[in-house]
Amino acid sequence: MTAVTATSKKPKKSLERQPIGYLFIAPNFFIYITFVFIPIFWTMGLSLTNYDLNTMEFVGLQNFIGLFGDRIFLKSLWNTMRYTVMVLPLGMVIGLMLAMLIQKKFIGRAFFRAVFYLPQVISLVASSLAWMYLFGENGILNMLLRTMGVSRVGWLTDPSISIFSIVVLSLWMISGYNMLLFLSGLQSIPSHLYEAAAIDGATPIQSFFNITLPQLAPTTFFVFVMSCISSFQVFGQVYMMTGGGPDNATTTLAHQIYINAFQYNKMGYASAMSVILLLIILLITLVNFRYGNKEVD
Amino acid sequence: MTLSFRKHSLGVHTARRIKGIARYIALITLSALWLVPIIFVILTSFKSASELSLRQFAWLPSKWSFDNYIKAFSYPGYDWPLYFRNSIFVTVVTVIGSLFLNSLAGFAFARLNFRGRDILFMIFLAGMMVPPQSIIIPQYLVLKGIPFVGGNNWLGQGGKGLLDSLWGLIIPQLCGSFGVFLCKQFYLGFPKSLDDAARIDGCREFQIYWKIYLPQSTTILATLTILKSLAVWSDFFFPMIMTHSNSTRTVQLALQLFKSSSTKWNEVMAVVLVTILPLVIIFLCAQKYFIQSVVSSGMKN
Repeated sequence: MTAVTATSKKPKKSLERQPIGYLFIAPNFFIYITFVFIPIFWTMGLSLTNYDLNTMEFVGLQNFIGLFGDRIFLKSLWNTMRYTVMVLPLGMVIGLMLAMLIQKKFIGRAFFRAVFYLPQVISLVASSLAWMYLFGENGILNMLLRTMGVSRVGWLTDPSISIFSIVVLSLWMISGYNMLLFLSGLQSIPSHLYEAAAIDGATPIQSFFNITLPQLAPTTFFVFVMSCISSFQVFGQVYMMTGGGPDNATTTLAHQIYINAFQYNKMGYASAMSVILLLIILLITLVNFRYGNKEVD
Repeated sequence: MTLSFRKHSLGVHTARRIKGIARYIALITLSALWLVPIIFVILTSFKSASELSLRQFAWLPSKWSFDNYIKAFSYPGYDWPLYFRNSIFVTVVTVIGSLFLNSLAGFAFARLNFRGRDILFMIFLAGMMVPPQSIIIPQYLVLKGIPFVGGNNWLGQGGKGLLDSLWGLIIPQLCGSFGVFLCKQFYLGFPKSLDDAARIDGCREFQIYWKIYLPQSTTILATLTILKSLAVWSDFFFPMIMTHSNSTRTVQLALQLFKSSSTKWNEVMAVVLVTILPLVIIFLCAQKYFIQSVVSSGMKN
């Protein structure tokens, strides 16, 4: 009876169009097209020009050729890579470690979880200011060093150190987010796997490598992709803490886009950089789709 | 046999206890480390200028007074109540507007049948992977060229368009690929019989959305509210590019500028603390929802 009604209803339904759907998505779609979709192609177009908000001149691939001879741009790429290579694995390891520490129920669990997640609800500007005070020339860290009789360190002013200070700030900011993602991943691992392993006499370390890590693979992959994408876009920390300095030791791709576009008014050149950034993110996303699909199969 | 069993269980018990204590030690150390920056924000905001420059480092301020707060918030050239009003206005309007538009679009993508629906949805999804800095230049030009506002003619020339206006900060953020995506996924989980029943009652599509879907969407709307409020309230990149005058300044921009105006860290920290307090308090009260929002946004991908 139910089957009959279901089949008799279905073909009728699939024919029925509801064009009012266009109206429902229209406002969202219009804003999206204007402020996101068209700008993607506009950036590509601008990257082929010299544009300073007044005059525009078509220069072909000149900007891209220029980029690869631009020391500062290459340095910004190198810094972005260095930053990513540090923040990505460390952020994941710290996130997983925190998640495992608070995985089981115990008194004070909600408190610790809140503490580690807290940086996520503090704005980047405020976080950066708090850390600038710690890292400053006369900041807390140097004061503590002085009481121990160690000479001061240029946490933000020494070209060989400043990028590590930015990495520390970023780890402080993102670890709590990674922790929550890993936590929900850990909680979805069926407990009978651990019980079975315990009966077989597996040590905690063995069950970590043979159960936890393989079972966490989808979460790990998601965290990896998300942190990868956000690391390549790092801007705020750099802008606030060092302004890209000293001597461009901390300038990043996104920071160079900002500097060139809105300080030097070199819109075309900055657009060429934007295209490079877009391509990098696109590449990461495509890799994500490839492996993401594999996991489903 | 019994003896060895007992011995074994005792061993397990003490091992568990040691493990528990070790965990507490690790967690207390780590959380202390995590709180260091915030603790120093609080302590510094109460210290006097002379205490900051002391050769000898002291943890606690000698006298707890709100002098720094009073000085910072009456700093010449800064109109903090205005910046808070601006930020609150932008955040509230953006959140409410985007909740409505995103859930409406999500409903349409999940439940309505129209030509090209899936292609349109894919176009929408593409927006999730676009880095904000890579499209900021065209966005600036678009806002500058909006016709009929800010002294612009119908061709969008002559004036500054929506640049340097609060609406210029709100409108681009009303759309949200991620919000639409989350809502669509959420509504796909609704039983279809719900619509059929409503349709028999003579409900049109909008009424089905408004009377049936929306009231059932509390969880997803709470998630989106949290994600969007955090993003909009904390953002400084977009306002920094799109606004420049005092009357449109947001809290984050003012905070960033204040560091260059006031060289006194105790005053800066007073302002930092006041700007982070609202969200921190909301977070501590509604922790459960914040955590839910991260988890659901992560898993749906």
